[in-house]
Amino acid sequence: MPVFKTPFNGYSVRFSPFYESRLAVATAQNFGILGNGRVHVIDLSPTSPIINELIAFDTADGVYDVAWSESHDSVLVAAIADGSIKVYDTALPPHSNPLRSLKEHAREVHGLDYNPTRRDSFLSASWDDSVKLWTLDRPASLRTFREHAYCVYSVAWNPKHADVFASASGDCTVRIWDVREPGSTMIIPGHENEILSCDWNKYDDCLIASASVDKSIKIWDVRNYRMPVSVLNGHGYAVRKIKFSPHRRNLIVSCSYDMTVCLWDFMVEDALVGRYDHHTEFAVGVDLSVLVDGLMASTGWDELVYVWQQGMDPKAA
Amino acid sequence: MSMRELVTGGAACAVPGSSSSSSNPLGALANALIGSSSKTQERLREIPNAAAPTSDTQFYSQVDDSVAALPGSELDRPFLHSNAQGSDFIRGLRSFDDNGLADAWEEIQRQPHLDHLYDPAAAPIQPTLDGPPQRVLSSFLHSFVDSSRSGIPLHPTPLPLLGLSQGDKQCIRDRSSIMARHFFADKSEDFINAQVNALLSSLEIENDVRARGPVPGRFRELEDYWNESQGILKPGARSADGWVTEFSQYTAQHGDTNAWVRSFEQQHGASSWASEFEQEQAQLTSIDHLNGGDVANLAAIEQTRMLAHTLSQNDDPKFQNSKFLQFLSKMSRGELIIDDNQVKPASGSWATEYQQQYNGGGTWADEFVHNEVFRGPDQWVNEFATERERHEQADDQWVNEFSKLHVDDWVEEFGHQVGEGILGDTSSDNWANAYDEFLNEQVAAKQRSDASSGVYVFSDMNPYVGHPNPLKEGQELFRKGLLSEAVLALEAEVMKNPENAEGWRLLGITHAENDDDQQAIAAMMRAQEADPTNLEVLLALGVSHTNELEQAAALKYLYGWLQHHPKYGTLAPPELGDSLYYADALDLKPNYVRAWANMGISYANQGLYEQSIRYYVRALAMNPKADNAWQYLRISLSCASRNDMLEPCDSRNLELLQKEFPL
Repeated sequence: MPVFKTPFNGYSVRFSPFYESRLAVATAQNFGILGNGRVHVIDLSPTSPIINELIAFDTADGVYDVAWSESHDSVLVAAIADGSIKVYDTALPPHSNPLRSLKEHAREVHGLDYNPTRRDSFLSASWDDSVKLWTLDRPASLRTFREHAYCVYSVAWNPKHADVFASASGDCTVRIWDVREPGSTMIIPGHENEILSCDWNKYDDCLIASASVDKSIKIWDVRNYRMPVSVLNGHGYAVRKIKFSPHRRNLIVSCSYDMTVCLWDFMVEDALVGRYDHHTEFAVGVDLSVLVDGLMASTGWDELVYVWQQGMDPKAA
Repeated sequence: MSMRELVTGGAACAVPGSSSSSSNPLGALANALIGSSSKTQERLREIPNAAAPTSDTQFYSQVDDSVAALPGSELDRPFLHSNAQGSDFIRGLRSFDDNGLADAWEEIQRQPHLDHLYDPAAAPIQPTLDGPPQRVLSSFLHSFVDSSRSGIPLHPTPLPLLGLSQGDKQCIRDRSSIMARHFFADKSEDFINAQVNALLSSLEIENDVRARGPVPGRFRELEDYWNESQGILKPGARSADGWVTEFSQYTAQHGDTNAWVRSFEQQHGASSWASEFEQEQAQLTSIDHLNGGDVANLAAIEQTRMLAHTLSQNDDPKFQNSKFLQFLSKMSRGELIIDDNQVKPASGSWATEYQQQYNGGGTWADEFVHNEVFRGPDQWVNEFATERERHEQADDQWVNEFSKLHVDDWVEEFGHQVGEGILGDTSSDNWANAYDEFLNEQVAAKQRSDASSGVYVFSDMNPYVGHPNPLKEGQELFRKGLLSEAVLALEAEVMKNPENAEGWRLLGITHAENDDDQQAIAAMMRAQEADPTNLEVLLALGVSHTNELEQAAALKYLYGWLQHHPKYGTLAPPELGDSLYYADALDLKPNYVRAWANMGISYANQGLYEQSIRYYVRALAMNPKADNAWQYLRISLSCASRNDMLEPCDSRNLELLQKEFPL
């Protein structure tokens, strides 16, 4: 299985929605505490298990997250630790990049999500407790959602409803928002500890999962958010990122500070269906390909990006 | 790459001629600190003597090969070009000519074997903050993490000037505190703060103003309380600093001395530190070792002096305590000769202070000991006993209360329902059927459970055997709430008089009070045998079975209660029991259609569909108009995979069915 080595510590990896074999990797020096950052755009080689770097963009501060545009196949946005969001175009040479730098957040931007339905807008989650809505063609944000009491770590658009999104925050809540409404429409006080990631089920628009520092992942039905549908325990440390599978209704992949990437089927009694222990440092980024069923990628602070097919060993040659 | 690689200047990080390779001491630090980490433990053992150049070479080349093989590694650029002037650190370093630090750096930089590993040709894209500061940061961050795993709090290390700007420092401070909270989910806030402060004070970052304080509660109104409490602790934030700086000294001495200085001065001690750090007591022993260390660590002393000065500005007792610790460690090292007025004995009290400090936050042990809830196992028992006593009155009252107060209403309702069930054929059909089916469903379970709860187990060593009137004694003891004694006494009674229903009954009640429903049931059943019409017995049996979740049995007994109750007895015909009764019922009243149908249902519920079909057919023969039975028959037919018979069933061809399924 192909592996890519980054010079800095990996932070996030995302498959391109246009090209099956393309990924973007967000990396930051010194674990994102201090130093520079780099966005890599990498391609899987069709024939051999080699990963080639298409292009890389350097940044003055760590890159915490990256998201591909759903409208332009070569455009991606990067969340920078200095509070800015940079827009890159892989079709343009490095000196023309970044296309744009959107600087409004007062603190680090930790999460990005591009609207898969509407395709023209994206959200940024920041440690300044706010979420901002942007479009590529405007230099300023369209909306700011400021309700969380602590860092917002992650935002996720609802795959079915173009105006609904969820945000996960260190104030231990997940909030559901509608961009048309001024305030949040639902607050799910899901965990007793910080919630680092959230994601919607791609097949059931009422199911949302939250991953927390308390090492658990909880699945919630927004129609009855007082009790989780399921609680997935198994990680030894905080769960950093979760993603519902675009291909299997009940499959979730998660990565954690316990250095493992786990696969869960939350409708099953014994939910843990797979565990990958390939990282030697915190596993902080994971993604499932929308275009290829079962193709997954993960990155960690061990500066490696693994891309493998579900069921196979990521470290296999 | 792992922290170890980074810190020891693993592949792609160090550039020859730069100070980056001086990370060797930090490598030792890293090794020391993460020695307990499982992932890196193997690495630790791989390096018999990390200080020795030769082993370093091997290590580097191992690492380099594996790393170089990965695509993308060609993009690894040396973080500090040898001619780069970007790093303040290097500049600062070069200016330290008057201390051993520079010499040490130089010495290690001169390790030639590193040259061939790197390609210094490519110019670094990012000019700032490469090299040692990065490694320092990396190492500390990993120390954070690993300290959470190993439980050893992070200790600060005073480091030479790193050339961090104010903005940088703020970044570090904020981000590390946020991240620390993720790593240390289980730990207390104090611990996290201490960890963060360890990092920060090592890097000389002030933590006066917490840009991102601890996670606010979900409820903002509690914020105020929290803030108040934090207001007290704010100066205490420094306390952690001090505590942490104390560690920093320790670590500095340890790291510096052990690997750094010793590596080129003495070339021994490496193995000792390696083994030390494999135990948690490492810190203590190493302090002892270092007492006589002749480290020319002027820079460190400088740092500590500055830190001491900063720390001395705070009056908070906690803070003072840790500052105290800091001085202790300095003294123990023999390095710090300032502040003579605070001379204290060395490692011993450091250790105790450390212990206190470390345990100070975690007073769970104290709490545990002093916790009132816990502390009274006696208290608990007493409470429980008094509760029991309060609830107990005369021997019968429990049952009386139960039967009179609570059950009457229930019984009436039940009676009414039963009455309706019997009297109203059409309206009650559903209820009766549902009830029947419910009971039927429990048959198998009931049969199983009956077997388990049938036998009463007498206690050994019964002191009441031979007592003249054990029944009375038992009643007394029961009244007094001495249930175990009461049990013994009553057992003595029923051993004497096995037919004494009252004795058995009381025994059953006592066991029920003791939550021993198995025994209670067994005793009650003996009581019932002795006196089948005793209402209280039946009721108690029903209750006990209910407690044991043996619903069918419970219902049976409660039904029995009903039957024998003068008021309700007429309402409870024997047919409406569970299927065990049906057979009896059928014997009594062979033309009772429902009983036949119910037999069919019973069999169907047990999965014996062929049998159930026969019973249904029989029932239908008596009453071809029983629509329910036709439905049941159809279901059983399809369950038995007799799809050929579905059509006759639908067309209600009774003759054919009777021929096919005779009983």
